[in-house]
Amino acid sequence: MNADLTVALTRRRALQLSAGAAAAAFTGCRQEERPFNYKPERAPLPEEAMEFFRRYPDFFVFSSPDKLPADLKWEDGAGVPELGDPAAKKGGTYYQYNPDFPRTLRFIGPDASGGFRKYILDSNALYLTRQHPETLQWYPELAAQWAFDPDGRTIYFKLDPAATFSDGVPVRADDYLFCFYFMRCNYTADLWYQQHYTDTFTRLVKFDDLTIALTMRDKKPDLLYKTSAARPVPVHFYLELADDWQEVYQWKFEPTTGAYEVRSENVDKGRRIVLTKVKNWWAADRKHMRYRFNVNRMSFVTIRDTNKAFEVFRKGEQDIFTMRLSEFWHRKMANDNPLVAAGYVEKAVFYNQIPRVTWGFSINRSRPLLKEKPVRQGIQFAMNWDVVLREVFKGDATRMQTSSDGYPEVTFPDIKTRGFDITAAEKCFMESGFTKRGPDGIFMNDKGERLSFTMTTGYKMFADVLTILKKEAVKAGVEFNLEIIEQTAAWKKSDEKKHDIFFGAKNVSVEMYPRFRETWHSSNAYKEDGSIKTDTNNETQTASKELDALIEAYEKADNMPEIVRLAREMMAWLNDDAAFVPAWVQDYYRVAHWRWMRFPKGFNARTSRDWEEYNLFWIDAEMKEETLRAMKEGRTFPPQIQTFDQWKERQA
Amino acid sequence: MSLNPLTRKRLQRFRSIKRGYWSLILLALMLVLALVAELWVNGRALIVRYEGKTYFPTYGAIIPGDTFGEEYKYETNYRALKDRFAKEDRGNWVLMPLVPWGPQDSDFRPGVSHPQPPSGEHTHWLGTDVTGRDVLSRMVYGFRNVILFSLSYTLLTMFVAVVIGCLMGYLGGAVDLIGQRIVEIWANIPFLYIVMIGISLVPADVGTAPRILILLFIMVIFAWTTKAWFLRTATLKEKARDYVASARLAGAGPLRLIFRHILPNTISTLITFLPFTVAAGITALTALDFLNFGLPRPTPSWGEMLHVGLDNKDAQWIVLSAFGGLVSVLLLVTFVGEAVREAYDPRKFTTYR
Repeated sequence: MNADLTVALTRRRALQLSAGAAAAAFTGCRQEERPFNYKPERAPLPEEAMEFFRRYPDFFVFSSPDKLPADLKWEDGAGVPELGDPAAKKGGTYYQYNPDFPRTLRFIGPDASGGFRKYILDSNALYLTRQHPETLQWYPELAAQWAFDPDGRTIYFKLDPAATFSDGVPVRADDYLFCFYFMRCNYTADLWYQQHYTDTFTRLVKFDDLTIALTMRDKKPDLLYKTSAARPVPVHFYLELADDWQEVYQWKFEPTTGAYEVRSENVDKGRRIVLTKVKNWWAADRKHMRYRFNVNRMSFVTIRDTNKAFEVFRKGEQDIFTMRLSEFWHRKMANDNPLVAAGYVEKAVFYNQIPRVTWGFSINRSRPLLKEKPVRQGIQFAMNWDVVLREVFKGDATRMQTSSDGYPEVTFPDIKTRGFDITAAEKCFMESGFTKRGPDGIFMNDKGERLSFTMTTGYKMFADVLTILKKEAVKAGVEFNLEIIEQTAAWKKSDEKKHDIFFGAKNVSVEMYPRFRETWHSSNAYKEDGSIKTDTNNETQTASKELDALIEAYEKADNMPEIVRLAREMMAWLNDDAAFVPAWVQDYYRVAHWRWMRFPKGFNARTSRDWEEYNLFWIDAEMKEETLRAMKEGRTFPPQIQTFDQWKERQA
Repeated sequence: MSLNPLTRKRLQRFRSIKRGYWSLILLALMLVLALVAELWVNGRALIVRYEGKTYFPTYGAIIPGDTFGEEYKYETNYRALKDRFAKEDRGNWVLMPLVPWGPQDSDFRPGVSHPQPPSGEHTHWLGTDVTGRDVLSRMVYGFRNVILFSLSYTLLTMFVAVVIGCLMGYLGGAVDLIGQRIVEIWANIPFLYIVMIGISLVPADVGTAPRILILLFIMVIFAWTTKAWFLRTATLKEKARDYVASARLAGAGPLRLIFRHILPNTISTLITFLPFTVAAGITALTALDFLNFGLPRPTPSWGEMLHVGLDNKDAQWIVLSAFGGLVSVLLLVTFVGEAVREAYDPRKFTTYR
């Protein structure tokens, strides 16, 4: 879904949503070079992997069940409430669109973090344990039980003996060992994962086929969260890992522990991709899964253009459409729209509680004029968000205040970003030598340089926002040249750090406290030789010793008060530094859906980012038939326009 | 200046084709009006009379608001100023143009929601677009952009085609042979894709004006081939005529031969192409803008308006304006083109009818 943001727990770039479908089709045409031998049966760990484990004897430990500490207190999440609605009907097909055909079915490596990933991995594959999205307690998924070691860094997991991959092969401890090999070996070479599985953990112990222990490098308050995301990688699927793995596995769907799989006959490259429910899915009757994953098929057609997709939705060929943009909610599918008034299409607003997506502007400090702090501060003062929020968002969004909003325990209402203030902007620009306005009203310095910057983005749907900001900024004496280009081209530009000001958003994980290293640490800005480091998320090229020290201390901190203190210090620093201009936040998502698409009573889960994340919806075939018949006969239903604000954060 | 009798005849013939003739006049009028658009469609005032002094803000540098006793230093909002002066009633006044909106001006007055349907009440004669900009104003400036762009495109294309076509035809031999092959290959490159690729390769720090020039050049590079082909043939034909041979005997050099003798006799083939090239330029730029590969935003452009209009079909006035404008201009240009072709039709003047 273009407009709605996707989930990614271990993902560095979440919002590379739309790119060339043509490119996808093109890579898809590549001929496979060698036959793919794969048998759905358990296989021993390959020798190459064993050798790798022997190389790190402290990290990979092969132990026995009798070495398991005796006094562990095993938890199994028994008291955690169920998820979803017992009234949910099973079966049917869910129709949805994708702005871009997935460019690969791999889970790691190039192009693997596209917008489709949430359907096949993040919202689908099971973790060891997962946090209940309403109560925030932990419930079992692949692990039947877990226990904390007193050292505060280790967790023991007992795998569910019934857990199997979609090809019927049971999940065993070896798949976790193999995961570490898979992520760290040179074949896959996905730097982020390589680093993550090398640095975050320090030990993996296999006690027997069903018992493992994971040790983290640092003590963390959210230990269970960080360890649970380790994913079993099916050994038997990757027996022939080699340098050409990217091509060989480009369109091979890794057997999943989750409810839906991609069968090769359901991939119509560039056009449509269909997920089907795994036959005899092992977790179908588990307490926390049984009212979820209700539909049998999820069908995604590729439609590049949002408005075209909307037309398809209006014809009833898609079940739901995001109403995130005000023009859809207020105008194109307004409450008096015939479809809504007749009750065929229902509208819903759902307030959620999650860390907010970071819509905003990254100012590139490696650019000559943008080096100066007052210039950056002036740029912040020159952005007229009041008008944007009023005219484009029709009051449906509020201003974001920091680079990491929406962490209940890490929120500092006194840190506020800069609002539109011409006098303050002028003062900032004067301070940095821009003392007079040129004939067009734009500030100039003695060298004749103008305060003119390029604003790059791939989000065409927000062209209006930038147009208004540009127009208003002239009043403060700064010029923004808009560069609104294709998604891929825009991200590439920011990855290469060639932008002046980049407008975009990064998705953030639902975590207790925000991350800072990826976006602010100097090691993500410059290489050791002082040249610019590309392909990182430090789009502001921030490199400050002071901030680095704070980030490093923050990552070592093992208790919440210390984490909060350091986070506060960093957020204040970043606010003063003004290299990131926070844009807006929306503390809800809203949709229009045909009335046969049903949701639980409270609509969705508290920490859900979109209606799909926990797969709580279902398709009611009878209602669909009834609705279609009613439309033909001209019968109507009472209109349904609902607001679910049980999780709305009230202003204190 | 005395015109060649043949040319005079052609002009007469052109004038007698009423549809084409009036289309040309209408187009010319529109062009003139567009060129002075600042005088009748503009957010800047025509005349401001303030404290005994008279200002003409239309052209030139901006006049900051504090000049007229406003509290800001950025460009004066003349519409607000007019209201203020009217309220104060101290003899100060502002004369606004007929359409008091510039192409970039958003109407953010409270109580006006956008897109606003056409209404005289808010002085948006063709309504507003989604960001509250006046559609009529963007139509006028969009027309100016597209027609100027298209005229430059036509002139440049013709120039390149004439030079290359003449050289190929006149020099012949290896030049002609190689030239022909190049033209054949060149003509088969899909032009729109190349323009898109070319435009996306332009670095972002290139400003608006050079960007437009680059777009123009890329388009010209791919447009000259057919015309050069025609000119080559015409030159080849003319070169073999007796009058060329006699001119050469009289001692004329190649440049004189080409420019004084051959070109005046071949150029007429090209004249008939002119209007259609203009139309092609308009269509191409609009298509590119529509696909977001043309003029950088927020330059007023018909292609972008079409795009916005199609995305917001509930606000029909946007797409209808852009579509109506495009169709009428293309129609006018085509009428002119027809008439020119008719007037230049050699069968009219030959004895072998």
